[in-house]
Amino acid sequence: MAAFVIRRLVASVFVLLAATFLMYNLVALSGDPLEDLRASNAPNKEQLIESRIKLLRLDVIPPLRYFLWLGGVFQGDLGLTVQQRSVNALLEQALGSTLQLVTIATVVAIILGLTVGITTALRQYSGYDYTVTFISFLFFSLPIFWVAVLLKQFVAIGFNDFLEDDPQLPVWLIALLTIAAGLLWASIIPGALRRKIITFAVAAGATASMLVIMNLIDWFSYPGLSIVGVAIIGIGAAVGLTALITGLKNRRALYAALVVAGLGLALYFPFQFGISYSITEWWMLVALAIASVGVSLAIGWFMGGVDKGPVMRVAAFTGFFTAGAIALDRFMMVWDDYASSGRIRGRPIATIGSSTPNLEGSLWVQGVDIYTHLLLPTLALILISFATYTRYSRASLLEVMNQDYIRTARAKGLAERTVVVRHAFRNALIPIATIVAFDIGGIVGGAVITERVFGWTGMGALFQNGLDQVDPNPVMAFFLVVGGLAILFNLIADLVYAALDPRIRVN
Amino acid sequence: MRISRFAAVTATIAASALVLSACAAPQSEVVEGSSITVAWNQPFYSYNSNTSFGNATANANIVYLTSGAFNYYDNGPTLLKDESFGTYELVSEDPLTVKYTVADDVQWSDGTPVDGADLLLAWAANSGVLNTPDFDPGEFTDPETGEFTDEYPTDVVYFDGAIGAGLQLVTETPEIDGKSITLVYDEFFVDWELVFGVGLPAHVVAQRALGIDDAAEAKTALIEAVQNVDAEALAPISNTWNSDWNFTELPAEEDANLLVVNGPYQITDFVADQSITLSANPNYRGDNLPNIEEITIRFITDPLAAVQALANGEVDIISPQATADVADALAALDGVTVLSGEEAVYEHIDLQFAESKNGTFDNPLVREAFLKTIPRQQIIDTLIKPLNPEAEVRNSQIFIPGAPGYDETVANNGMDAFTDVDIEGAQALLAEAGVTAPNVCILYASNNPRRVNEFALIQASAAEAGFVIEDCGSPEWGGLLGTPGAYDAVFFGWQSTSLGVTNSSPTFRTGGINNLNFYSNPEVDTLLDELDVTLDVDRQIEIQVEIDKLLMDDFYGLTIFQFPAVTAFSDRVTNVDPGPLSPTIFWNAWDWEPTEAN
Repeated sequence: MAAFVIRRLVASVFVLLAATFLMYNLVALSGDPLEDLRASNAPNKEQLIESRIKLLRLDVIPPLRYFLWLGGVFQGDLGLTVQQRSVNALLEQALGSTLQLVTIATVVAIILGLTVGITTALRQYSGYDYTVTFISFLFFSLPIFWVAVLLKQFVAIGFNDFLEDDPQLPVWLIALLTIAAGLLWASIIPGALRRKIITFAVAAGATASMLVIMNLIDWFSYPGLSIVGVAIIGIGAAVGLTALITGLKNRRALYAALVVAGLGLALYFPFQFGISYSITEWWMLVALAIASVGVSLAIGWFMGGVDKGPVMRVAAFTGFFTAGAIALDRFMMVWDDYASSGRIRGRPIATIGSSTPNLEGSLWVQGVDIYTHLLLPTLALILISFATYTRYSRASLLEVMNQDYIRTARAKGLAERTVVVRHAFRNALIPIATIVAFDIGGIVGGAVITERVFGWTGMGALFQNGLDQVDPNPVMAFFLVVGGLAILFNLIADLVYAALDPRIRVN
Repeated sequence: MRISRFAAVTATIAASALVLSACAAPQSEVVEGSSITVAWNQPFYSYNSNTSFGNATANANIVYLTSGAFNYYDNGPTLLKDESFGTYELVSEDPLTVKYTVADDVQWSDGTPVDGADLLLAWAANSGVLNTPDFDPGEFTDPETGEFTDEYPTDVVYFDGAIGAGLQLVTETPEIDGKSITLVYDEFFVDWELVFGVGLPAHVVAQRALGIDDAAEAKTALIEAVQNVDAEALAPISNTWNSDWNFTELPAEEDANLLVVNGPYQITDFVADQSITLSANPNYRGDNLPNIEEITIRFITDPLAAVQALANGEVDIISPQATADVADALAALDGVTVLSGEEAVYEHIDLQFAESKNGTFDNPLVREAFLKTIPRQQIIDTLIKPLNPEAEVRNSQIFIPGAPGYDETVANNGMDAFTDVDIEGAQALLAEAGVTAPNVCILYASNNPRRVNEFALIQASAAEAGFVIEDCGSPEWGGLLGTPGAYDAVFFGWQSTSLGVTNSSPTFRTGGINNLNFYSNPEVDTLLDELDVTLDVDRQIEIQVEIDKLLMDDFYGLTIFQFPAVTAFSDRVTNVDPGPLSPTIFWNAWDWEPTEAN
């Protein structure tokens, strides 16, 4: 094992060296770094050209200059840009802002992709399956810069226009969404025609009434979940998660989850109108999240009886979702304050940047501001990577579901839930773990276009500005990080595979 | 049993929490304020735009808005004086002596008056006269941070100022007297008016460099250091001046004195890579009082992203690079005013007088014939008019359209006769010269789509007259400029940074640094010599008109167009009126007015 890792790492170093050498020369030879100065007629042009030649060591030919650069890298120094800014400092800033952008998108895309992939596999060849297949291939083939411009036009500019004067959903849209929701659920939930019709009616009715109520209470101007919404989410999570993780027959788990949800509801008013005002730093919110999971675990432990593990798990998830719903509601409470402030002027969804300049306000207002800025780029990134995850997880689960041991499990008389969650799902995750590892390695470098279109100055800007100015140093910093991550996560993927699947040994 | 007990505890806790919180009332959580937001394509990164490090328009814009100046360009462009900031007078022409006086009530935003110490520092920094000779700062620069290392000698003075721009000719330490300074030039320097202004606050530089707390004391220390050429004190001063003002986010509390300015606005917020916010400076006493309380400049690289941000109300003024996509996108917006204009960059085609590839243009008749075939009007109609409907052919090698003297030179130099192509005329000239099918190798930027199109138009037109055009376009064109034997003609852009008359000298003088086509005309050289010592503005224009005529008579080449610029602004602001020279849209920021929609 250790020998394998070391061998791989040594090989990787040589790959990276060769790749950086090639990249450095390609960048250095891609144009003329003095072009802007040559066209200038500034009186001290000669001095400017001379100082740049000195600064970037342009008197040394690129293949040799590479080794000067490499020498610096070994001392932890990535050099200077054309504007004499330290690449190390730039890289630090850029990496931070890129991670902020891609982390949420990656997590959401993975969760959403897996969920949708698994449900489509379980309902293979249903209308739902075909629709998802069609949509995911559609998104997969769209260029991201185009998606980004469309998102800006419709989700930002169009939606802001909608919000500006008395936002009411038009009737045709309500009808369309109602039918879509009905079809979706009827297609997911199995059964004979009669049952499908009932499912359709229930889903359509629920959607229609919810949308009508949203219109009536002017929800788009004053969004919120209120205690009713939190109750529905909390109790729904309690019941749903119990059904999924332990089965509803496990009464202890159900009661523990319901107690957690009830505790959350009891704390709703004290939190919204009291405690939340004293939360002024993000770490406090994180601490609260951890605390709520901790309390839920404790409740699960107390109520768990003989088999505490699954009960604690159910309780913890329920606690997390309930607390999340309360926090979400708290963010929604400042929405109107936020949207009507002088900085936003009724157009909350942003098309560029990571925050509204000069916006001052509580943590909750800042949170909404982050949300309005992250929304579009995250959507764009998700739409593109969503397709891969659904396809892989669907294929993987289908393959597992046709294995002999699944048939054995069914033959033993296990419930379908147990067969899918315990026996199939876990094994289906093994190949997906490797794909996720690859993706995380690639995503830092993959957001170049997204960043530029949405005005985020991250790794993409570092790369692109460097290339525009024929400045190898920032480009190489980008390349080192991205290439290094790719190699590292390849290795991790191999190791994870070996760890998850006992049939595979690394040697 | 256990369950119910636990539930009881839970209920008790919850109930007591409810009671405890009932008295807390909701409070407002947004602090209001209004502003104008401008999009710029590059982040600000240094407040000292005079150093080679900070020399970028993104920095110069902010410095302009936060600094008073003796003079500045309007959108004409014409040089305007701001006497509310200070005055200057020419004391004597031989030796050239200029006296600058700062107005009485001009002060820094921390209340310290602007006076002789600040002027003296500006001279010391931008003349480089006090710099230790033969010192190479590169040896002591940490390549990682760009800052100076610990081995940096303590008695070495190195100001990385705008050295070479003209102030280096004032080698004698100038006299200061209260709020004025007298500069004595060793040699005559005609563009003296453009090279001097107050830069960084002297008291802050000295406070930071020498560890002095009191502002007046710091100024005295700085004046003494400069007057006595005290290398030990000047070394840290120069170091502070070079690097302390390079910041990429709002400086920490203890470095707040970096934000001391003397202009209409002051920096109040700066988020790394996102935006910088300027607010009206309450201590500003000059005439350029701003109407808008707060200007935020957001950094948006992508031109179309800037247009959509304008459409979404996130920014109010944009000035993106003019492309057909941007023009289309802007045309589709409601409630937005779009101004087409011109940049300070102009396209021109030059013919090689010597060291050319084929020697085609050694004969003036062939030069004239070739220039007759350049389809200038067609280039403008097809490539520029879609972006700037008012675009016209530029008819002068020296004057920017709209600048004083431009109309005179157009009437005089005869370039407008070359606006439309004259194939027959060209053929006749070629016949007269006795040349058939002359080869012309044209160098241009082949990675620039507009220039590829220009080349195609020129090629088609010149071929009609019998020229054999070789495509010598290259992405490496910049490096090939001035290479002997590489090409016969070239077209590219020159960028004008000021209206200074010395700007044309390096381009047209025999052996000048920008003389890339080996042009040499003794008459032009003589006139340039005279221009370099002529102070009278009318005479300056006369000389330049004469040079422009001589260049045309030699069939030096043709200017084609000013690069198109586009500015768009929302209905929240009026009085935006950009000019071609830096700081383009910002030149009259203090005249911008908020509308009722603001």
